[in-house]
Amino acid sequence: MNHPLLEVRIVTKYFPGVVALKQVSLTLEAGEVLALIGENGAGKSTLMKILAGIQQPDLGKLFWNGKEADIDSVEAAMELGIALIHQELNLADNLDIGSNIFLGREPRNKLGIVNRRIIREESRKVLERVGLDFDPRTSLTKLSIGQQQLVEIAKALSMNAKVLIMDEPTSSLSSKETRRLFKVVKDLKQQGVSVIYIAHRLGEVKELADRVVVFRDGQNSGELAKEEISHDRMVQLMVGRDVSQLYERTPHKPGDEILKVTDLASPAFPDAKNNFSIRAGEIVGLAGLIGAGRTELLRVLFGIDDAVSGTIEVAGKPREFEHPRDAIEAGMVLVPEDRKGQGLVIDWPLDMNGSLPGLNRHLKQKAFIDKRNEIETAERMIDDLNIKTPNRKQILQFLSGGNQQKVVLGKWLSLEPKILLLDEPTRGIDVGAKEEIYHLMDKLAAEGLAVLFVSSELEEIMGVSDRVLVMHEGKVTGELARSDLTEESIMQLATGQELATAH
Amino acid sequence: MKNLLLMAGLACLVGITGCNGNGDGGSGAGGTTGGAAEQDEFGPIKTGSVGEDEKPTVSFVTNGIASFWVVAEAGANKAAEDVNADVLVKMPAEGVADQKRILEDLLTQGVDGVAVSAIDPSGQQDILNEVGENTIFITHDSDSPFTNRCAYIGMDNYDAGRMAGKLVKEAIPDGGEVMIFVGRLEQLNAKLRRQGVIDELLDREPDSSRYDEPGKPVEGEKYTILDTRTDGFDFAKAKAEAQDAINKYPDLKCMVGLFAYNPPLMLEAVKEAGKTDDIEIVAFDEEDGTLQGIVDGHIHGTVVQNPYEYGYQSVKMLAELARGDSSSVPEDRFMNIPARQIRKDNVIEFWTELNQLLGKEPPEGAAETSKKEGE
Amino acid sequence: MKKLLGILGLFIVVFGFTAVQNPKFISAYNMENLLNWTGLFGILGVGAAFVIITGGIDLSIGSVVGLVGCLLPLFIMDHGVPVPLAILSVMLIAALIGLTHGLLITKLNLQPFVVTLCGLLIYRGVARFITADQTMGFGNTHGDLRKLATGKLAIPGLTEATKFDLPIPFLILFILMVVGAIFLDKTIWGRYLLALGRNEQAARYSGIKTDRLTIMSYVICSTLAGFGGIMFMLDLNSVQPSSHGSFYELYAIAAAVLGGCSLRGGEGSIIGVVIGMAVLRLLYNASNLLGIPTQLEFTIIGAVILAGAIVDEVAKRLVHRMRQAKQQR
Repeated sequence: MNHPLLEVRIVTKYFPGVVALKQVSLTLEAGEVLALIGENGAGKSTLMKILAGIQQPDLGKLFWNGKEADIDSVEAAMELGIALIHQELNLADNLDIGSNIFLGREPRNKLGIVNRRIIREESRKVLERVGLDFDPRTSLTKLSIGQQQLVEIAKALSMNAKVLIMDEPTSSLSSKETRRLFKVVKDLKQQGVSVIYIAHRLGEVKELADRVVVFRDGQNSGELAKEEISHDRMVQLMVGRDVSQLYERTPHKPGDEILKVTDLASPAFPDAKNNFSIRAGEIVGLAGLIGAGRTELLRVLFGIDDAVSGTIEVAGKPREFEHPRDAIEAGMVLVPEDRKGQGLVIDWPLDMNGSLPGLNRHLKQKAFIDKRNEIETAERMIDDLNIKTPNRKQILQFLSGGNQQKVVLGKWLSLEPKILLLDEPTRGIDVGAKEEIYHLMDKLAAEGLAVLFVSSELEEIMGVSDRVLVMHEGKVTGELARSDLTEESIMQLATGQELATAH
Repeated sequence: MKNLLLMAGLACLVGITGCNGNGDGGSGAGGTTGGAAEQDEFGPIKTGSVGEDEKPTVSFVTNGIASFWVVAEAGANKAAEDVNADVLVKMPAEGVADQKRILEDLLTQGVDGVAVSAIDPSGQQDILNEVGENTIFITHDSDSPFTNRCAYIGMDNYDAGRMAGKLVKEAIPDGGEVMIFVGRLEQLNAKLRRQGVIDELLDREPDSSRYDEPGKPVEGEKYTILDTRTDGFDFAKAKAEAQDAINKYPDLKCMVGLFAYNPPLMLEAVKEAGKTDDIEIVAFDEEDGTLQGIVDGHIHGTVVQNPYEYGYQSVKMLAELARGDSSSVPEDRFMNIPARQIRKDNVIEFWTELNQLLGKEPPEGAAETSKKEGE
Repeated sequence: MKKLLGILGLFIVVFGFTAVQNPKFISAYNMENLLNWTGLFGILGVGAAFVIITGGIDLSIGSVVGLVGCLLPLFIMDHGVPVPLAILSVMLIAALIGLTHGLLITKLNLQPFVVTLCGLLIYRGVARFITADQTMGFGNTHGDLRKLATGKLAIPGLTEATKFDLPIPFLILFILMVVGAIFLDKTIWGRYLLALGRNEQAARYSGIKTDRLTIMSYVICSTLAGFGGIMFMLDLNSVQPSSHGSFYELYAIAAAVLGGCSLRGGEGSIIGVVIGMAVLRLLYNASNLLGIPTQLEFTIIGAVILAGAIVDEVAKRLVHRMRQAKQQR
């Protein structure tokens, strides 16, 4: 009888006061790519941690090649051939590629000195398997995020990994890098390596996965074979409801030009001069590959970095933003990409985060904080944005990503801004919250707010925008009206090609 | 009344520093006790009423932590045994503020008497007077003459400085460049010792009130005192100062260390520079390293105080005063424990005696050397 | 709040234990001394707390105390500067020192540790140089001025037997504490400081001028160090340029940490710092009165602070775990 390579049999995992996994079962065949999907907190990561030996199940068993396996440590998992590629890469960027691949298990000669020749040779072999053409002596800092990820995969392969677990591997990759990663995954599959891959972009799943397992509330809520995989089926299993209204839109009536930039260049791309404008009441998507300079452009607009050249006009008046405060005073706010690092004081309660930008405005009474107003602001924010929190004193790190993002939005909306800049607003948040944020953006635009949002997810860009600006190497290279939006047209502009249909 | 006295004392001090050309002004002073000696009358001696069979508790407070004070502690403990008293030996680690705190805590405890080595004789008058108001108070080692202390037990530092100067003259009879090293120049004893060395080398008339500003060389006929370097009781810095001096002045002939820990560190620096034949060392006090240096011939000699006696006499006097007996307080309120010069010829004898006092084995290397010398 | 209770508990335990062991401990004389020292050192602690809350550190506090201690008598005694002007100038010098620290840290992006460590060395050297290592003091003059630090306020209504005078330095510290606590907890700038200490970027992205606040915290710290320096000088009336104030920054930092400031920034209460300093002084006082050998003084103090830090961390983890459990339910 043929055993699956890996089998999870009725595993239950408790955390203090909560059941993270309820009687979950799963199988994985050799050479299979299994996608694992589900909203945040559905239990995907917990199961992966159990497989990788980071946590142990409270009930249930694991089988490897039909034999019961006791994976009680990361070492034990590696011994079997299971390796976890973390979402946040675990590499030492002060070392070169080869040293990273062999970190902690450097081959030594008789004198105990690290044998660099073996490191180089072995590294070359595994780098080739992941399609990276780099000298192992190259410093890691020279590599893009996507390339670093491949190094991490190479590292796992060098340890003879038979199962690779990837936790949202494409979340910080550009489309090109994603393509390359997929190719590597397919190659590895040919070589008999199995991949369990926690996906957050449903569009990718169909292309890559042989099978999809869906999680909801710590339970296995369904399984789709390759031919059954469809976007709607997946979402339905994940959220348990119909989401055809994900990108539901109300008609926007763009008003006057509210933001106009002329020859604006960011320090990262001093020679790329940008000219564009945004009108009140429209949602403009800013598309492009990772590293195309979109975040950098938003930083200049918001006054975090100084512009190298150019001018910014808000509602017809030229403005100089030396500090975010200047931008805020002009009515322009930014929801930054790094929610925990820049958007929020994550270990502070909700109400104190919500009031932070308003303290020097409506929450100020002489030098003192208007405590009552602060409380009201927080309560209103919780109601208006439907933030799921026990109360306004809740520490934000205990909220889900989606609810955290709503707090960022809420703290800005309390200032009644005119221009809303959003940098990857739905990164790492579940489908339900995404939908709410899309609807919020839609509603705000309908109310006359100008929205400029950066996203690396084409689906989202196309679903939400009235108009799309595409950046390539620091410069806005093209503009697409909603009616012209196709994946191909955006990618052409994003990779610096002329639009086939243009002119 | 007390205030008047203090004012008079201060005026006297200002007068002395103001006209140091006038030899008559302070010549009678003869050192540390100068101020006190000029006072015509002393206040009454404070005594206690501890019974003959009861054990008085007295405290011996130093001005810092050093092996010098370990010797004094031995003396204090011995005296406590001899006169049937309890003694608390306190060593402030961090200067004036620390010493003040310790004194306050002693007053809180209500000890029967306190002997203090004043870190800053003039600035600390308030707290010292407070001690004197609340208990029997004497000074040792470093006096604070304008306070209400009953007595001072110590040596004449200026004379000791001149003794060291004489040792320098013996070490380098042809003259040359001399450097002085000391922990802190703020202390009266350091100032007086230094001045004694300088005055002796320049063959000046004895005048303890003279003060040559540090930082500029003092030149005499044969001897030049280049500089006085301080280290703030930081041993690493003390050694570094010595190294820098060796490096900076190639013609340096003699180094004088005024505080106990200086000479061994100076000797280390000289040894490392390979200059034991070129640079003579004159020391103060009796660190093991200093004594060994004398035995080995690297240090010419040392001027030793008698810390053991400071400790012993302080505790003995305090205990006697606490029992109402003031007979041991001298007429001029100054109990002189004179300094001695130790050279190669008497070092073994001195060292053996010292170790005996401390309850240590006699110096090993010393015994051997003395045997050899005896052969 | 929990941290405050913790440090207060520690204070009460040590206090009670010492009082039982040695009744003289609670004598008015000793209590007055304890309050006086707490007042003097506490002023430095409050200043240090402001910097620590922003996630910075100031190692130059002791040297500023030393420098100011030298400058004040130098101005008044040697140069005949009128007292108010002299006090104003030394405070201004202290504030300028803080401003320099702040500018170097924010505008040149130097590390606070490096900047203030250099400050520690520089101001000590300057103090020694300008005084030629001579002990500084007022001698017997300026008794009235010195009352600012040595004076005591009789508490009315007490009989001779229960007489208790409040040392003025403690009174000053108390006022500072109240003002500081209100500033930190109730004003928008206090909130800004806490946000800046917790997450500098998030604060900046929220439109808070973080550089300006950082500079302000260093100015507050150095100015209070300068003020403390004046008080120490007036109290001791004896300033050794080479050692006056040495290591005081460490006491200030220790008290701040003991009182609930996190060296990672963003956390701390002024009242906690004052109690922290009181604990520190209490430990000195107690180890003396309990007859613990002087040599072990530092060991006792270090051990108690460490024990406090360990208990605090363990408690924090417990709370965190419980909260997380509640969250996941």
